[in-house]
Amino acid sequence: MNLFRTLRLSGSIGLILVIFWLAVALAGPALAPHPLGEIVDYDVFLPMSSTYPMGTDYLGRDVLSRILYGARFTITIGAAAAIFAGILGTALGIFAAVSSRMVDETLSRFMDALSAIPGKILALVMIAALGSSVALLIMIIGVSYTPGCYRIARSLAVNLNQMDFVQVARARGEGRFYLARVEIFPNMIHPMLTDVGLRFVWAVLLLSSLSFIGLGMQPPDADLGSLVRENISGLAEGAPAVLMPAVAIALLTIGVNLLIDSLRGQAKTATGEV
Amino acid sequence: MKSVLFLILRRIGTVLLTLFLVSMVVFSLSSLLPGDAAQQLLGQSATPEAVAALREVLGLDKPGHLRYLDWLRGLIVGDPGISLANDLPVAQLVAERLPRSLLLAGIAALVSVPLALTLGIASAMYGGTRVDRFLNTLTLTMVAIPEFLVATTLVLVFAVKLNWVSALSYAPPGASFGQFIAAYALPVLTLFFVLVAQMARMSRAAVLDQLSQPYVEMAVLKGASLPRVVLRHALPNAIGPIANAVALSLSYLLGGVIIVEVIFNYPGIASLMVDSVANRDMPLLQTCAMIFCAAYLLLVLIADICAIVSNPKLRT
Amino acid sequence: MNDSNRIYGGMSRRELLAAIGAVGLGAGLGGALSLPGSALAASSIPRQGGRIRVACMSSSTADTLDPAKGALSTDYTRHYMVYSGLTQFDGDLNPLPALAESIASDDMTVWVFNLRRGVEFHSGKPLTAADVVYSLLRHKDKTVASKVASIAANIRSARALTPHQVEVELAGPNVDFPVILATSHFLIVPEGTTDFSTAPGCGPYKLKEFVPGVRTIVTRNQNYWKPGRPYLDEIELIAISDEMARVNALLSGDVQLVNAVDPRSIRRISASGTAAVQETSSGLYSNLIMRQDQFPGNNPDFVLALKYLFDRETIKRALFRGKGMLGNDHPVPPNHKFYASDLPVRAHDLDRAAYHLRRSGVGKAPFPLFASPAATGSVDMAALLQLSAHKIGLNLRVNRMPSDGYWSNHWMKHPLSFGNVNPRPSIDLLLSTFFVSTASWNESAWHHPGFDQLVIAARGEADEARRRQMYVDAQVMIHEHCGVGIPLFFSFIDGFDKRLQGMGTIPTGGLMGYSFAEYVWWNG
Repeated sequence: MNLFRTLRLSGSIGLILVIFWLAVALAGPALAPHPLGEIVDYDVFLPMSSTYPMGTDYLGRDVLSRILYGARFTITIGAAAAIFAGILGTALGIFAAVSSRMVDETLSRFMDALSAIPGKILALVMIAALGSSVALLIMIIGVSYTPGCYRIARSLAVNLNQMDFVQVARARGEGRFYLARVEIFPNMIHPMLTDVGLRFVWAVLLLSSLSFIGLGMQPPDADLGSLVRENISGLAEGAPAVLMPAVAIALLTIGVNLLIDSLRGQAKTATGEV
Repeated sequence: MKSVLFLILRRIGTVLLTLFLVSMVVFSLSSLLPGDAAQQLLGQSATPEAVAALREVLGLDKPGHLRYLDWLRGLIVGDPGISLANDLPVAQLVAERLPRSLLLAGIAALVSVPLALTLGIASAMYGGTRVDRFLNTLTLTMVAIPEFLVATTLVLVFAVKLNWVSALSYAPPGASFGQFIAAYALPVLTLFFVLVAQMARMSRAAVLDQLSQPYVEMAVLKGASLPRVVLRHALPNAIGPIANAVALSLSYLLGGVIIVEVIFNYPGIASLMVDSVANRDMPLLQTCAMIFCAAYLLLVLIADICAIVSNPKLRT
Repeated sequence: MNDSNRIYGGMSRRELLAAIGAVGLGAGLGGALSLPGSALAASSIPRQGGRIRVACMSSSTADTLDPAKGALSTDYTRHYMVYSGLTQFDGDLNPLPALAESIASDDMTVWVFNLRRGVEFHSGKPLTAADVVYSLLRHKDKTVASKVASIAANIRSARALTPHQVEVELAGPNVDFPVILATSHFLIVPEGTTDFSTAPGCGPYKLKEFVPGVRTIVTRNQNYWKPGRPYLDEIELIAISDEMARVNALLSGDVQLVNAVDPRSIRRISASGTAAVQETSSGLYSNLIMRQDQFPGNNPDFVLALKYLFDRETIKRALFRGKGMLGNDHPVPPNHKFYASDLPVRAHDLDRAAYHLRRSGVGKAPFPLFASPAATGSVDMAALLQLSAHKIGLNLRVNRMPSDGYWSNHWMKHPLSFGNVNPRPSIDLLLSTFFVSTASWNESAWHHPGFDQLVIAARGEADEARRRQMYVDAQVMIHEHCGVGIPLFFSFIDGFDKRLQGMGTIPTGGLMGYSFAEYVWWNG
């Protein structure tokens, strides 16, 4: 049934992209030709040239350097937030599914309450109240995606909970946490991984949305989304300062997704499913 | 069917509880905010005396929890109070914005949901083939571009360069069908970009998940065709997670569209709420939160009903 | 500088009355009020008719029709559409007679206003002295929450002498009183008004529709007290907060006039062929505030070090594409008649900065510096300052705060923060609002011997040469000692459809000091 498998080629492309971005995140700042905030040229929105491989930004700063720094922030914050939401959401989702109806209800209502408040407005309030820092950004983005993860995890876990093999194990007299850990969790890793992959993409995009409404990284630091945002006025003239960070975001998120999709297919083969 | 009805009734009961929870969460969050409506209204001109005088006028000299209870009492009898920022009834402010938000959300949903589901299911049906890869890359790319870049690019191309549509999404009352399309085309297209990927990818994943179940393998072994397997066997079981993904995506259409509202200058309810945060306008903030919450709960309720109806096992 | 200003100096009361009366008469009857700005010369002959849509930068549900509460550019614009004031500005911020046909004062403390006859509010009610008294005194009522309560505190009393004559007594002499009355907050409303929902003014336009945070629509007041004016049939005022979206709306023809254009967008607008920009050089600035009652701003050498760290030329060029005038760490812009032109502009000098930093002995520890998009350009200015500071080993940590809540929670609340000061119609207002030691917005908690008395003396000084010298002295004091760094004065930049004509400049703000509505016409 290799019909259902994702092609390996896309997986390799994804892997290459992810490794590339991890390398950029690690080594980028060291490779940057100019310091983060330095104005290197009088002219703004310069096109690509040998002096400035990706042109200059709205203040005349080197775009390549800013992307090399920005990738680190984007990857760190996006990944940390997505993982935070994924772990918390999955754990709570499974917990709710195997717990009593009362616990399930309470938890679900609380998650509903949390997710009913739009993420950007939640972020707006929290940043206005607590100030802006990297740790806080991770937490805000993580928290605003937790209910989403929770709902999907719970929905999957509830479905699995009805499956024959779980019922068999339950009939065997296994405890709730055994069921959760051994029977339910392993069977929902793949959809949850897909979800976390998407959440990472969303976290990166929420981060850039936050920069749109004036929240986000402290200058002169900037994540990739902020780079797009701060140079948006160069879009009309097609400046690389706005296009390049957007391409960077696209390559990063596509890479992560391709890899996750591919892992999903391979995991199935390995465990002999299908 | 009796048990379904009972479940639904019980759910509606909990909706009220959740609404109350949200108002508590919003109240606690907003009490963290530095400053109050009096300071915000006076802005740079907030001298201590002026602030004290205005606080008295606005009733801010009362403790926060008392004002919250007042507001709650008002809400129960159907009066969400008076906006602190401009003395207008909250109900009037909301009545001006909410229909617009619902209209935009409705159109966006109408366009996005069928397309997203079609894309997702088609992708799953042709899993691993060129079609799947193409659709996959397409949705990935769509989700990977920040929405303000999408929106701005659309404006630059279709409004400024080509002059086909308006840069502002504003259809005057009594607008013709053409004007209507011109006003809504770009924001709907932007929202489409944002929504489709999430929904298409989640529905693809859900269907693929079902396709990996043993019962599907049985059906295939029995000689059922692939579309038939997907539509008759996998899809009904995948409806739960799909409905969930759709509900989550659609809930974004009311509160999450702040960027679309800003760029297209669309007077919707998200910007009303952002204003209410900036102005520390608690009655308005709370009321907006209630609206988002109610809309969200409604969507979730529908998703749950779909799941319950489609999967008899959940009815117990 | 010009006639209407000189009339306050050295004339007898009778002469003064006559002088202002004459100007008023000419303006009222001929409709040939001296037009603000210079861009008007080449324009075509005004014609009536047409409808335009105007996009300002900011609006929210806190939008108001009460002139006392105006807080944003959209508010000021709306108020000037529907209300009229006792005086109004010309292009050099001199007061011209408006609802007051003539103004007189012997001692600059007691002022007598003779009201124009035959003026009617939109409701048909005639304008009387009682309306003026009410309009002035309501700012002193704390429950009104007037934005100009602190200025109005200097009005000791106001009373109607006759149905068309008002006498106002100030707490002390103030040459600039007629200037202050031209600001939008002091526009005239009918006596007893507490409900402003119908915008009951006597301005050039009548309110047709008002939805806070969404739109204002006004239609021509056929019965306006300036015959032949205004020109447009209808104006719709909206706000588009995003600059890019605002410019796009102008270029796509959705709006015909926008304010707050980023200098980087000028190239695009000019290249469009259909739209043009209007630059208004003004006294608008964003400033670095170094609190002198807190460490490290209480160290004069540290303050000087930061002033030398400002790379004014780069800020002007990189941040504002050359649009603006270099600031010299005092609040008077170079195009002002009282500008201290003999005082050289402080240069970007790392050596001197390093010298003063060493002398200050405050160390290099990271000093948090608060900036916000709420204070125009401050975030980028802070980043540049941080970069320069880094070169002399000084460590500044930029904290960008959201616009939301910046003014009440961060501005002036930290040792180092940025502020933003809108142009004031007179130097006296500027100094007494932001620099005298007792001002509630004395941003840097600055106290300098003799400065406060100097400001008070200049306020009552009718002789222009002596007044000028006093203001030059004040500028030097601020430049040398005050804890504010003012690197640049920004320009207001409006973008407009070329078919919209009559646009000029009044340097209290963009959109002709927010009062474009009565001046422009549509030639489409």
